[in-house]
Amino acid sequence: MFWRLVFQLLRRSRGRFAVAIFAIVSGATVISALLNLDLGVQNKLTQEFRTLGANIVISPATGAPAQIGGAAVPSLMPEREVLTALQQLPSAQVSAAAPYLYIVARAQNVPVVVAGTWLDQAQKLDATWKLEGNWIASRADDSLCLVGRNVARRLHLAVGNPLELHYLDRSAQCSVAGIVDAGGTEDNQIFADLRAVQSLADLPGQIGVVQLSVTGTTQVIADYAARLTSALPQYQVRPIRQVAEAEGALLGRIRLLIVSMVLLILILTALCVLGTMAALAMERRKQVGLMKSLGGSISRIVGIFLAEVGVLGAAGGLLGAILGTGLSYWIGLRVFGTAIAPRWEVFPVTIALMILVTLTGAIPLRLLGNVKPADILRGE
Amino acid sequence: MRALDGVSFRVNAGEWIAIMGPSGSGKTTLINILGGLDTPTAGQAIVDGTDVARLDEAGLTRFRAEKIGFIFQQFHLVPYLTAVENVMLAQYFHSTTDEKEAQLALERVGLGDRLEHLPTQLSGGEQQRVAVARALINHPKLILADEPTGNLDEANEEIVLSLLRELHSEGHTILMVTHAPSIGRLADRRIEFAHGHLVQAAASSLKPELA
Repeated sequence: MFWRLVFQLLRRSRGRFAVAIFAIVSGATVISALLNLDLGVQNKLTQEFRTLGANIVISPATGAPAQIGGAAVPSLMPEREVLTALQQLPSAQVSAAAPYLYIVARAQNVPVVVAGTWLDQAQKLDATWKLEGNWIASRADDSLCLVGRNVARRLHLAVGNPLELHYLDRSAQCSVAGIVDAGGTEDNQIFADLRAVQSLADLPGQIGVVQLSVTGTTQVIADYAARLTSALPQYQVRPIRQVAEAEGALLGRIRLLIVSMVLLILILTALCVLGTMAALAMERRKQVGLMKSLGGSISRIVGIFLAEVGVLGAAGGLLGAILGTGLSYWIGLRVFGTAIAPRWEVFPVTIALMILVTLTGAIPLRLLGNVKPADILRGE
Repeated sequence: MRALDGVSFRVNAGEWIAIMGPSGSGKTTLINILGGLDTPTAGQAIVDGTDVARLDEAGLTRFRAEKIGFIFQQFHLVPYLTAVENVMLAQYFHSTTDEKEAQLALERVGLGDRLEHLPTQLSGGEQQRVAVARALINHPKLILADEPTGNLDEANEEIVLSLLRELHSEGHTILMVTHAPSIGRLADRRIEFAHGHLVQAAASSLKPELA
């Protein structure tokens, strides 16, 4: 009979609940969307920050530069030593990594910085680059190179053109696969296969730096850097703080914003429910007086009304959670360019929050405990 | 201003008592005290061995559920419950619900074809018959009827009175407030109040004719 009473109440009072239902569903929709975003945004933002480039750099300890062929070059590191150490650390957090060997070679008799690297990692490490032409898919292909926009303009290079590089008495050739517009110093560089550049500079197995893009929070990045430092104590491992800290600060601000908004929406929803319940409590005084006269205890009577409100909150919360998931999906597409996957844990949280809010908003129903049946039945 | 003062009377089990008097004489207050809806400031109101005046809130609630069946002038049905659910509501507050029994109670008052109707879909007489069925469903020791025909036309008044006669003949104890002398005369005894005082307690003369 309890649930029969509750559902009859809901069925017959749905018009009176219209405002409260609208508030609950709206509140639950926004809260669900915000919670989905909060849980999903960390991944998305981390991915977004990864497009900003590497966030850890391994380089030789500061010291006297090496002398190569009479030219001063920064100290170098054995490629095998560094990569072996990297392979021994968990790779799941590393979204991209590439060793670099920088030399100043000549192209068409013009001095130009040539970076030897794993060209297949360039797109992952430098996702913000605009590229005319094609990315290089395989690091085994040493016949292709990427050319910075300014270099291409100066040397009148286009995609598909051959390019000959000279370093001292050695030379190497590659074909321009793409022209890079990075908006930075990379526009003045040529990116060629690491092996080819090592061979050109006669520095087999030598690298200048390693850049890594590590996925995770600021703390994860710092932890990974610390492990790298332990593994390679002879080299300098530096998190690029601007990126890592900006990421951490932005995530913190977004979370604060989301939590504040969720709290605000909960309060507004509770106030809206409170208003409806205050009106409903006045309306139901007569029914409560009657129920009391029939021998209903106030706890049983108010229990019926609270269950009614709780069902309303649960149903509104469920509907809002579904709508909110759709909303967060849409926001994900619009803001991040990819959908934010539904987080199923948001459903029970949203429903529980809505039940809590509606029960809080139902405080006026407690006033029904003061109803004197004799007064009500007398028509007062 | 006084609502009852120094009242003293006794009702035997199975009696039908009509409580009469002008408006404001305390009839409804008396019914409310006996039904545990009001508590007297002094004195005793003993119903089936229970002094209602000494019961706390929880005790009064149980007392109403177990010993009293109310029939109000305004019917006082829950508007969003069907006829059978209104009867079951009294069962629910008493102990457990039994829909079949509730249906039988409504069939008894001639509403077997109105079980699923809402109060708004019933006439005044039908609503009052639902109230009678609700009052009976828990087999109360005492039926308190406050102007039970006050809002009914003659035809429905007769139906409700015949139900009360039937209940009386089955041995139910009935206290009925009424303004109408013709209805008061149906009772075994009439107790009249004026300005809060019990002024007359008389045996009904017409009862044999209408029994």
